[in-house]
Amino acid sequence: MAEKLLKKDDIGKFYSELEKEYKFYAPTKVKGNIAFKKISNAEEIELDYLNSKVPPKDVLFPQKETIFEYRYEGKEVIIEERKDLEDKLIIFGVRPCDAYSFKLLEDFFASGDFQDDIFLKKRENATIIGIGCNSPRQSCFCTSVGGHPFQKESTDVFLSDLGDTYLVEAISEKGENLLKKLSWLADAKKADVEKSKELAKLAEESFTTKFDFDLVTKVLDENFEHPVWQEISESCIGCSSCTFLCPTCTCFDVIDENDEYNNRGRRIRIWDTCQSCLYTLETSGHNPRPAKIQRCRNRIMHKFSYYPSNYDCLGCVGCGRCITACPVNNELRLIIDKILEIQEKSGEKVSA
Amino acid sequence: MPNPYIPMLTRVKSIISENEVRDIKTLELEFQKKEEYKAFDYIPGQFAEISIIGKGECPIGIASSPTEEGTIKFTIKKMGTVTSSFHNSDIGDTIGVRGPLGNGWPMEELKGQNIVVIGGGFAFSTLRSLVLYILDDKHRKDYGDITVIYGNRDSGEVLYRDVLEEWEKRDDINVVLTIDREEESWTRKVGFVAAVVKEVAPSPDNAVAIICGPPIMIRTAVDELVKIGWKDEKILNSLEMRMKCGIGKCGRCNIGEKFVCIDGPVFSLAELKKMPNEY
Repeated sequence: MAEKLLKKDDIGKFYSELEKEYKFYAPTKVKGNIAFKKISNAEEIELDYLNSKVPPKDVLFPQKETIFEYRYEGKEVIIEERKDLEDKLIIFGVRPCDAYSFKLLEDFFASGDFQDDIFLKKRENATIIGIGCNSPRQSCFCTSVGGHPFQKESTDVFLSDLGDTYLVEAISEKGENLLKKLSWLADAKKADVEKSKELAKLAEESFTTKFDFDLVTKVLDENFEHPVWQEISESCIGCSSCTFLCPTCTCFDVIDENDEYNNRGRRIRIWDTCQSCLYTLETSGHNPRPAKIQRCRNRIMHKFSYYPSNYDCLGCVGCGRCITACPVNNELRLIIDKILEIQEKSGEKVSA
Repeated sequence: MPNPYIPMLTRVKSIISENEVRDIKTLELEFQKKEEYKAFDYIPGQFAEISIIGKGECPIGIASSPTEEGTIKFTIKKMGTVTSSFHNSDIGDTIGVRGPLGNGWPMEELKGQNIVVIGGGFAFSTLRSLVLYILDDKHRKDYGDITVIYGNRDSGEVLYRDVLEEWEKRDDINVVLTIDREEESWTRKVGFVAAVVKEVAPSPDNAVAIICGPPIMIRTAVDELVKIGWKDEKILNSLEMRMKCGIGKCGRCNIGEKFVCIDGPVFSLAELKKMPNEY
């Protein structure tokens, strides 16, 4: 399908034609931050943003969600499965890193003998409208993890911000079907496509944070017991911001929430974090990861060593949220530097 | 495939209090839907996520053997909220079951070999399942000699007395029961499990050792086995770990890149030695 143009002034029209069929999620201002929320008015869409504080992951994998509901009738328990998983969604304005996270999440939840139906059904019914990053943040490093500020693969429709208009490209079949509904979109000219390519090139050149993650993975695999972990975990206060704001973190807790007065309740799952000592604490009191050093190590190992071993890709999309969120500045760039220093030091020993 | 988080519903058919202090009970469960029981195709060593709906869910090893048809059993020690709610349940109460989960004991690989079962305390449930499975007429010829060494602090803690007595009467299984300190009416062995392992000295030839129990018992018993020539590949353990989903999604039961719920809970000592010491 040929590229189209969407005037920023026409976003309202774009929204109102799609909102009847889709639950429409878009970046919007919440308490001074950008968040992806279901909107009820096109005015709520925030077009001028670098990225959201909480990743759009929470549209498909919310911080708290129902697994199933139950009610009691005497000694009988009746289980009611969710019926809202078939709703069609649009997630508008997703940055390429976050769009790629949907692919990682989908692969993870579909892996193994048991599929996570709840996530996968929602993912299947979601159309991702991605948008290129004209000016990546200083903390962004998607190009180091196989991504790109204009990577389109994990989106259904891709937008490039050309100033007053967006260049609109259908990437998947789902995206093509969506654009067919919007016959009023003007055709793009060759110059528009060229401009988008130029923006992509400029964006790529602007990256300052770059890592060699093949090397990082190799060093991690060989240095589980290295004293560097003591150094890395020293300043961590265990606040878990890095994991709660991570677009690829999937850990959750499960609890039953009762509505005692109405003889019913629901089993829910809630985001959990390997940075909490309660995460692994057993009822007996035994805890396999009782100390900060083990928990900090687990996060880094999971993203950059266990993920490559289990799923053949990094568990990181380079969004940089853990870098900006860390309240004690114990951020990923410094951690990676410390890990790579192990290699450099051992290299020096060999050459000496 | 059905949603793996939705439990199948069962009813409590019987409740057995297993020990003198009454903090360990075995619940026998009957599936509410026959077809779900038929689909519950398990081997010894697997576990299930079981729940009192409204209280919560936890992973428990399956204590019954697939050869005991019609119901499944779980032996549960009263520890926290969820396990206490199992202890408070009555006959006929509804219990949710998701499973079978985990790899279980490698019943195919064990064929043709002698089996040495070493257990301590209440970690005997999946060992009960294993031994009952092997002793079943359909399977007994597939396996070699069986030795069971089972230790407890005192005689009041010994689980599954009825099946143990039956095993003791048979001549195709060597059952060695021990308690830590002497008691007047106790006629079996006295001493720690490791000391009994040393005394029994099971031969490593064409044999597999299967060990479940408290960490200190496992460590000392393994030391004795290694001294008499056992190889790490032939020593199997079943691990416990905090879990929520049991299907490799909720994250917390990882040891390095492995998940206890889907890659385990059964690991050989050789495998465990390659994994980080985070269990």
